[in-house]
Amino acid sequence: MTTQTLPLGGAPKSLFKDKVMDLLPDGGNLNACLTCGACAAGCPATGLEGMDPRKLLRMASLGMDEEILRTQWAWYCTMCQRCIYVCPMKIDIPQLVFNLRKSWPRDRRPKGIRESCDMALRSDTCSAMGANEEDWRYVVEDVAEEVRQSQPGFEHLLAPMDKKGATYFLNQNSREPVTEPDEMVPLWKVLHLGGVDWTYGSKGWAAENYCMFIADDENWEKVVRTKAKAVDDLGCKYWLNTE
Amino acid sequence: MVECGRHLNIQLHTLSEVIGFNGEAGNFNVTVKKHPRYIRPEKCIACGACAEKCPKKVPDEYNMGLSKRKAAYIKYAQSVPLKYAIDPEACIYLTRGKCRACEKFCPTGAIDFEEKEEIVQMAVGSVILAPGYTPFDPTGWDFYGYGRISDVVTSIQYERLLSAGGPYMGHVVRPSDEKEPRKVAWIQCVGSRNTNRCSNGYCSSVCCMYAIKQMLITAEHAKGQPVEQTVFYMDMRSPGKEFERYYESAKARGIRFLRSRPHTIEPGEGGNGVRMRYVTEAGELKEEEFDLAVLSVGLEPAKGSRQLAETFGIQLDNFGFAQSSNLSPVHSTRPGVFVTGAFQAPKAIPRSVTQASAAAAAAAEALHVVRGTLTREKSYPAERDVSGQAPRIGVFVCSCGINIAGVVDVKSVAEYARALPNVALVENNLFTCSADTQDMIAARVREHNLNRIVIAACTPRTHEPLFQDTLKEAGLNGYLVEMANIRNQNSWVHQREPEKATAKAKDQVRMAVAKAALADPLHKLTIQVVQKALVIGGGISGMTAALGMAEQGYPTVLLEKADRLGGNAWNLTSTAKGEAVRPWLEGLIEKVNQHEHIKVLTSATLKTAVGSVGSFVSEVEVDGQLQSITYGAAILATGARESRPDEYLYGQDPRVMTQLQMATRLMERPAEIAKLGSVAFIQCVGSRNEQRPYCSRICCTHTVKSAIRLKELNPRMNVYVLFRDLRTYGKREELYKKARDLGVLFIRYTLDSKPRVTSNGRGLTIACSDPILQMPLELSVDHLVLAAAVEPNPNHDLVALYKCGFNADGFLTEAHPKLRPVDMSVDGLFLCGMGNYPQPIEESLAQAQATVSRACVVLARKEMQLDAIKSAVTEKCDGCALCLDVCPYRALKLMEENGNGRPRRMIASDPALCKGCGLCAATCPKGGIYVHGFTLEQLKAQVVAALAANG
Repeated sequence: MTTQTLPLGGAPKSLFKDKVMDLLPDGGNLNACLTCGACAAGCPATGLEGMDPRKLLRMASLGMDEEILRTQWAWYCTMCQRCIYVCPMKIDIPQLVFNLRKSWPRDRRPKGIRESCDMALRSDTCSAMGANEEDWRYVVEDVAEEVRQSQPGFEHLLAPMDKKGATYFLNQNSREPVTEPDEMVPLWKVLHLGGVDWTYGSKGWAAENYCMFIADDENWEKVVRTKAKAVDDLGCKYWLNTE
Repeated sequence: MVECGRHLNIQLHTLSEVIGFNGEAGNFNVTVKKHPRYIRPEKCIACGACAEKCPKKVPDEYNMGLSKRKAAYIKYAQSVPLKYAIDPEACIYLTRGKCRACEKFCPTGAIDFEEKEEIVQMAVGSVILAPGYTPFDPTGWDFYGYGRISDVVTSIQYERLLSAGGPYMGHVVRPSDEKEPRKVAWIQCVGSRNTNRCSNGYCSSVCCMYAIKQMLITAEHAKGQPVEQTVFYMDMRSPGKEFERYYESAKARGIRFLRSRPHTIEPGEGGNGVRMRYVTEAGELKEEEFDLAVLSVGLEPAKGSRQLAETFGIQLDNFGFAQSSNLSPVHSTRPGVFVTGAFQAPKAIPRSVTQASAAAAAAAEALHVVRGTLTREKSYPAERDVSGQAPRIGVFVCSCGINIAGVVDVKSVAEYARALPNVALVENNLFTCSADTQDMIAARVREHNLNRIVIAACTPRTHEPLFQDTLKEAGLNGYLVEMANIRNQNSWVHQREPEKATAKAKDQVRMAVAKAALADPLHKLTIQVVQKALVIGGGISGMTAALGMAEQGYPTVLLEKADRLGGNAWNLTSTAKGEAVRPWLEGLIEKVNQHEHIKVLTSATLKTAVGSVGSFVSEVEVDGQLQSITYGAAILATGARESRPDEYLYGQDPRVMTQLQMATRLMERPAEIAKLGSVAFIQCVGSRNEQRPYCSRICCTHTVKSAIRLKELNPRMNVYVLFRDLRTYGKREELYKKARDLGVLFIRYTLDSKPRVTSNGRGLTIACSDPILQMPLELSVDHLVLAAAVEPNPNHDLVALYKCGFNADGFLTEAHPKLRPVDMSVDGLFLCGMGNYPQPIEESLAQAQATVSRACVVLARKEMQLDAIKSAVTEKCDGCALCLDVCPYRALKLMEENGNGRPRRMIASDPALCKGCGLCAATCPKGGIYVHGFTLEQLKAQVVAALAANG
């Protein structure tokens, strides 16, 4: 934080905060802050490199645009919305953060999530981990078979793939099939025991969408549309996204 | 409550609801449904047998569910009427058709399961609605864990924990393990100032002060080890009279005030206590454990008030409080229906009591032509002549719940009293002041032929009239009662030394018994009331008071020192609710000037004041001419003014101005103001500092209103408000929110780092710092507006004339801030408006109307009775006149008369002026003057008793 004196007053300036407010319903209440600090107390990122959501909003209100457009804090936010949940004024700090992210040149946004977005764009599985259709099919069937063999009571457990007309189309974060395949099983069991008519898809099955986290609107939409198409192609009624 | 219950002209309908309402102002028809009590009140003696035997337990709503009550119950020990009731939803018989245990055990056969609901019709002229409020229920707020974590309680539950009549009898313990908490945290604004998790965009007005009160009481209760106390808040709001000092005293006691809101409350280790994370204002993240968390819950409109509003055809505001104009605060939207208390807007006791009187005045104004036609007068049995009888003293020792009994061993005091001379009967009561105890005392007087009564309880200041009345009902002269104050002067001040307190209580009772034995019957004097009023001060408060008195038919003189009526209101554009002030003010002045019962005297000063309640005489100077006026009651509405700042370049740079100066510019030259690029406001200029340690109450709202106006004139204007705590209490919070939404920037400063203002050719520069970013700021502005403190108009002369009082800040003092908020300590004098304390229009008007109600109590009768405690001159007086100099009320005169042909000098006492203070008796060297009820013999007997060894 700078200790330089901040000059205020004088000719009216066009603030970044005001531009964001124009985009949001009720301006995201960004002006309503009572500076109570509940957001900062509850933010999981508070303290990381000095991160403080209340300070971020205050800087925006004081017109410190240069600083907020540059700060790495924009990338520490997890978009969890704990701040807005308890804020007495329902101030949409996550939207402020999102718009800060958008203001960054794409190639300077954090490499990890940027490349995850790029990876998802490479195939119509939408997997940020690059898991391809064959691997996905194989893992699901292999794990399901193992459960049927080894777990009494689940001899008839199914993890259907591309079942046309199923009621529910289920997404799966690609971290599970790639690194923790067993983590998929509990939900299958729930659906099985509930007699739910569901299916996975070989296309558009990956639940994650890093293009959203990187604030790449265009590709965020592209990924969502790819996934939605997969649901429609199978004629499913509902899309269950577990992310 | 007891007074209400006993009043002849008040009919109580409990367990009742209004189900129908029609007619018009002056002639309404009300249909009331009375739900059955299932216990006949005329038979119930409140012995409690029904509750004791009732097998059904339910959560006790009075103790906020912290304890249980039975299905046969009274809400609390001081209930009025003190009659048990059966809860039909809990009663086993009424729900399942079996049990009737209470019926078997009731000694008086009061249980009546056959009782049916009853519909009652009433004809009334005016209606006052006072359904109160409901505390906010934080159950749905999962992040605070209320209802899930046992050591999270609401402030109302904590109030019950602190209360002597509460579930733990005032011994504060936390729910999880019933251990005394050593570290307690309060979280403010739970259900207030929140438009996210609830729709309560208002400030509840009372929580800051009740939290401070709870903390100070907790500190007092803590025996031995101190309790660490923390309050998490956003703005501390203590804008009431003497409130700021109270807040400062809490800080001085080590209570920690943290400007921060924790995000989540989590259970502490092992399920006891709580844990929370918060950030300090500088941004430091902390995690802390507390033994107990108290949620300072706000006030919501009472449950059922929507239905009530519908029944009465009145409108509510967007929060569900009753709608009323700030220019007529107790009038609902329907003529003849008045609203008061927290139903009108969230408010604390003093303002509620004031508003209640205002509503009474408004309701009575509509009915004044028929005043007195339906009232009933109380008659007492003939007074028993006790002269010549040996004293037979009855002593009643009060436990006051555990207020007294928690410290003093009342049983042992009662036992001790039995052995005292002349004592014929001793009893110990849970609450000696309760309605049933009054009946019991009267019965005992008759049964045991008692002729003197000693009440060992609390202060005669509040309770003596009650016991005097009880004696009269029992056929005894009211002055045959003597009180020993074993609560205020004993249990409350000797909490840590119960044994010594008990010994002292015995001393007090022994002294009271000794004095009572010598008590004589006394009789009240009757004086003729001058049924006219004087109002001093011609601002909106004085004018409203004068108009109110005149409308009730009393000739009224309105005195104004300036050459025109109106006062500060000439400088105001609109009320907080936006009503235009100027046209209303002009209308009010017109009405006052035209009223047949009002005589307006401008450029007038009060020169003298003699007489007392019911009959005053004054000389008034008007344009150099003296004139004499007589009146039975006076209302002081002397007002206040904006002080002249002596800092921030005020008076040195024309661009620095006060709020009222800015208001004038906004009224007169708005286009010029609209062109400004930047304007800053500084709050608390001359308030809340060493010189004026009080909050001026009105400036925050005024500034926020002005800031909104600036933003509306020019949305691109930079508007800054430098403040310490933003105190837009009540519904005014909406204005603060609006100002923020419009982009007004609020920057907090502290007394240690006040803004520094410099000027240059281009404008003004304000150096300050941002508390959140902890960085220096430099504001360049065109204008700076100072929220200058409100200071009382000088009223030393008036105070000297009337022998009334003002506080350390120069504001006129009320007789009791809560119980008698518009009465003065001198009978027959009342006060309203900013001379009492800075306050906005709507509060000044409520006070003014309240004085009308109170003054009418004096003027309504042609004759009034004075207290019998007066000085009396004896044959031993030789006219030395030493007493004349010491009498503070000028009640004594030196008379000369011719007895047996020789001139004789003697003192005469005017009972209308005498207050019975006793300075004369103490001064007289020869027993020439004494005070009834405090004769030398009585005082001597008390002293002797005090010095006697404690048996």
